[in-house]
Amino acid sequence: MDVSFFVQLLLNGIVIGVIYALIAMGLSLIFGVLEIVNFAHGEFYMLGAMLAYFLTVNWGFGYWATIVIVTVVALMVGYVLYEGLLASLRGESFERSILLTLGLSMILQNGAVFFFTTTPKMMETPFSYSNVVVGDLRVPLARLFALGLGLAAFGALYFILYRTRVGKAMRGVAQNRDAALMVGIDPRAVSRLAVAIGIGLSGLAGAALAPVYAVHPLMGFSFVFKAFAIIIIGGLGNVSGAAIAAVMLGVLESLAGGFLPLAMVDALAFVSMIAVLLLRPQGLFGRGVRV
Amino acid sequence: MRVAAGNRWLPAAAVTVGLVALFALPQVTGNEYVLALGASFAAMSVLSGGLNLVYGYTGLLSFAQVGFFGIGGYAAALLVTEQDWPFWAAIAAAGISAALVGLLIGYSSLRLSRHAFAIVSLSFALLCMIVARDWVELTRGSMGIPGLPTPTVNLPGGWRWRVVQPADFYYLLMGFAVIAHALIYLVVTSRLGRAMRAIKLNEALAQSQGINPLSYKLLAIALSALLAGIVGGLFVFYLTIVDPSIFDFYYTETTLIMVILGGPGSFWGVLASSAVLTVVPDMLRFTTDLRMVLYGVVLIVAMIVFPGGFGGWLQRRRIARWRRPRAPAPSVAP
Amino acid sequence: MFSRRVTIAATILAILAPSAFAQSTTDPIVIGASTPLTGSVSHFGQHARWGAELAIAEANAKGGVLGRKIEIDFQDNRCNPAEAVKSVTQMLATKKYVAIFDGLCSSVALAIMPLVERAGVPFIVANASATSIAEKSGVGGNKWTFKVNPTDASMLDALIGWLDKAGKAGNIAYLGEDTDYGRAGSAGLEAALKKRNQKLVMVDYYQKGAADFTSVLTKIKAKKPGLLALYAIDADFVNTIRQWYSLGGGIPLTGRVLVDQVPKEIMASGFLDGTTSVQPYDPSVDTAANKAFVEAFTKKYNEAPMLISFESYETINILIDAIRRSGDASPAAIRDALASTKYKSMLDTTIEFDANNLIHNNAIIFEIKGGKVVIVGMSKT
Repeated sequence: MDVSFFVQLLLNGIVIGVIYALIAMGLSLIFGVLEIVNFAHGEFYMLGAMLAYFLTVNWGFGYWATIVIVTVVALMVGYVLYEGLLASLRGESFERSILLTLGLSMILQNGAVFFFTTTPKMMETPFSYSNVVVGDLRVPLARLFALGLGLAAFGALYFILYRTRVGKAMRGVAQNRDAALMVGIDPRAVSRLAVAIGIGLSGLAGAALAPVYAVHPLMGFSFVFKAFAIIIIGGLGNVSGAAIAAVMLGVLESLAGGFLPLAMVDALAFVSMIAVLLLRPQGLFGRGVRV
Repeated sequence: MRVAAGNRWLPAAAVTVGLVALFALPQVTGNEYVLALGASFAAMSVLSGGLNLVYGYTGLLSFAQVGFFGIGGYAAALLVTEQDWPFWAAIAAAGISAALVGLLIGYSSLRLSRHAFAIVSLSFALLCMIVARDWVELTRGSMGIPGLPTPTVNLPGGWRWRVVQPADFYYLLMGFAVIAHALIYLVVTSRLGRAMRAIKLNEALAQSQGINPLSYKLLAIALSALLAGIVGGLFVFYLTIVDPSIFDFYYTETTLIMVILGGPGSFWGVLASSAVLTVVPDMLRFTTDLRMVLYGVVLIVAMIVFPGGFGGWLQRRRIARWRRPRAPAPSVAP
Repeated sequence: MFSRRVTIAATILAILAPSAFAQSTTDPIVIGASTPLTGSVSHFGQHARWGAELAIAEANAKGGVLGRKIEIDFQDNRCNPAEAVKSVTQMLATKKYVAIFDGLCSSVALAIMPLVERAGVPFIVANASATSIAEKSGVGGNKWTFKVNPTDASMLDALIGWLDKAGKAGNIAYLGEDTDYGRAGSAGLEAALKKRNQKLVMVDYYQKGAADFTSVLTKIKAKKPGLLALYAIDADFVNTIRQWYSLGGGIPLTGRVLVDQVPKEIMASGFLDGTTSVQPYDPSVDTAANKAFVEAFTKKYNEAPMLISFESYETINILIDAIRRSGDASPAAIRDALASTKYKSMLDTTIEFDANNLIHNNAIIFEIKGGKVVIVGMSKT
C-alpha cells in the first residue's frame, strides 16, 4: 500500500480533526461549567463563517484581520448570549437549556436562510489556490492556516485554563459547583467567560474554515451533531478529552474515507458514540470528578 | 383534571360529541384538503402525545420520536413490498420493532444520565436518517420506496375494506389516533402515570418510595415508540411513498413546540396545541423559514417565562382560583 | 375543545370550496406549483421559480393566453413528500388550478402523481431524475403526468458514445451524491458502458452537504482511473472542484460537470482542460431563442440561468402552448393538448411527448479547452 497515500489521509484527518476540536472544546467547556448543551453552537460557527465572508468579499478585509475581527465579535456575542439568555437558566433543569438553545438555533439558522438564502458562497482569498507540496503530499495553504489557528487556540485555551486564576476558577466550577461557591468563586462571572470563550472558538473555527469550504446557512447543522457525539466519546465536560476525541475522529473518518465507501463515514461518529456508551459510558477520558 | 362534583359527566359527554364530530367529518365535507389536514393531525398528535408521555410526564427530553416514526414507516413498507406480509401484520411489526429499538437506546443511555439520553436520542434520530440514505440495499436510499400498495383490511363478517380514498385514510389514521390517545390517557391517569410524574418531580424521592425509575422510564419510551411506529407505518401508506425525509428534523422541532405550547404533562393541552399547530400554519402560509424563526422565539420565551405552556397556565389559574379565599363566614363577635 | 374548532373550520371551507372556481372568461388562468422553496435544495427551487415566472411574464407581455392573463402560485414542499401531499391536496381542492407544475424532487413527484390522477388535473414535471416517473406515466399508467427533462440514462449513453469514439470509455471512476440524482447517474453510466462491454472501475457516493471530499478524492487519485465521472451539484460541486484542485487533479473529469459553477480562477488556469461533460442545457448554446432567454433572465434576476431555470422556463412555455391549443383552458383539454404537443425547443429541436409522456430533447456535450467551454456536439436522447 502506498505510504504517501496513507500519510496524505492522515494529514487530511489531522486538519479536519483540529477543526472538530475547536468546535467540540467550546461545547465541552460550556457544558462543563454551566451544565448546558448548546444546541446553537453550530450556528455560531456558521455565523462566524458568514461574517468572515462578508468582511472579505464586501469590505475587502485581509485574511488575518478577518480572523481577529470575527473572533473578537464571537467573544462579545458569547458574553451577550450569556447575560441575555443563559444567565436566567442558572443550572436549572437541563432540559430547559437544551430547548432554549434549540430555539436559538432555529432562529439563527432559519433567519440566516431567510436573509442570505441557501446559495452557497465561496470565499476567495489570495491564497485560495495555493498548496504546500512536500514530495507526494499536498496540503492547501488555507487548511494549513486553519490548522495553525486551531493549534494556537489550543495553546491559548490551555494557558487560560491552567495558568490563570480565572481559568482555575472555571475548572473548579466544572468539577464541583457548590464547592466552588463555598470558596468564593463567582459562578456567574466564570460562566460568562466560559460561554464567551466557547462561542469565540466556534466563531474562530468558522472564520478559519470559510476560505476552505463553501459558506451557507446550513453548514453548522452537520458539524454540531458530530460535536455532540465527540463530547460524549471524550467524556461529558472534559475539554481536553473532547479535543483528543475530535482529532481521533477526524483521522478515523479520513482513513475510513480512503478505504471504505464514503457513505459510511458519516455514520462513524454516531456509531462510535453508541459503542462508547455501551462499553465505557463515562467516555474515553472520563468526566473528572462530577458524574 | 378535577371537576366539581355535579359536572363529572360533562367531560365524558364533551369527548363523545367531539369524537362523533371527528368521525362524521368526511361525511359532512368532501373537501380533500380538510381530510389531509386531519390525517396530518392524527399522525402529529400521536407523535407529540408520545413525546408528552416521555418528556411531559416522565421528565425525559427525547428527540427520538421521529426516529421511531420513520422506523415504523420503513418497516411496514419493506415488509409489505419485499416480504409480502399482510397489512396489519406489517403495521404491528412496525410498532414492535420501533418499541424494541426504543428499549435498546433507552436502556443503554439511561444507565448514564438524562443528559446522555437526550444527546443519544438526538444522535439516534440522525443515525436513522443516515442509515435510510446510505444503506441502499435495505432502504433504497434517497429514492425511497414508492408505489406502496393500497392496504386492504379484512373485517369480521367477510368484508374487505380497501383503503384508497382520502376519506378512508382519514378514518384509518384518525381511528388509530383515538386509540393511541385513549391508551395514553389510561396510562397517565393510572398508577403508572402517577409514578412517572413522581419520577419527574423528584427521582431520588420516588426511588425511596419504592418506585424503580428505570422501568417506568423504559415503559414510557417503549409505549411512545410503539405508537409512533404504528402511526408511521400507517402514514407512509397514506403518502404511498417512504423516503429518508420522513426523518426530517423539522418534525422533531414541530412536535417539541406542540408539547411546549400545550404544556408538558398536560394531556388535553398537548392535544389542543397539536390541532392548532397543524391547522393554523397551513392556513397562514408563512414561509417556512419565518415560521421556524417564530417557533424558535416561542421556545425561548416558553423556557424563560412560560415553562408550563398553555396547559400549565390553565393549571396555575385553577390553583389560584382554589386559593382565593371564600366569602368569610359571619364572624361571631368575641 | 379543539374538535369544535376543526368542525367550524371545516364547515367554512366546505361552504367556500364549491364557489371557488367560477368559469369566467376574464379571470386569470392559474397554474399551481409545488417546489422546495425552503430547505436544503431551496437554491434550486428558487431558480425553478425564476425560470417559470420569466416565462409567465413574457406570455403576459404578449397579451396573455386565450385573451386571459396567466398566473402561477408557488407552494413550498421542502423536498418532502408529506408536505407536498398536503399543499398539492389543498391546491387541487380549491379547483382553481388548471395544471400543477413541479420539478426537482423525485419522491415528491411520485407522491403527487396519484393525487393529480384522482383530481383529473395535468401534472408537468421539470427536473426530477427518477426514471420511475416516466415509467409509470402515459399509456397504461398515469395519463395526467408529463415529464420534460431527458433521462440521465439517455444523456449518459450519448456521452459514453462520444467518449468511446475517442477510445476513452474504459477505466472511468464515479463520484456522485447519494440521492436519486447521483444514483441515476451511476446507473446510467453502468448501463451505457455495459452496452460496450465495459464497466465503472470505482463507484463512490457522498452525502449531500458533506464538506470534505479530500479522503475520497485521494482514494480516487490513488486508483489512477482514466476519467473521473462527477455527479455533484451546488455547494458540494464547488467544494469538490476546489479540493480536487488542491490535490492537484491529474485526471480529466466527465459526467455532468456544472461548468458554469466552476470558480473562474480554476477555469482560467486550464486545470479542467480535457473535461468532457453532458448536460440537458448550457447557457452558451448558440440559438437565438437561448440567447434571448439568457439575456432576459440575467437582466431580471442578476444571476445567470442554470439548468434548472432553463428546464422550468421551457416547461412552462410548453404548458402555455398546450393551454393555448386547448381552447378552453380546462384541465382535461389541456391534458389532451399536452399529449399532442409539437413544440420548438430553445435548443432548436422539435419536441413531443412519447408514449410514456416523456420528452426526448437534445443533450449537449461539451469540452473544456484552453480554459473555455466549447460545445462539441448535440445528441438526441
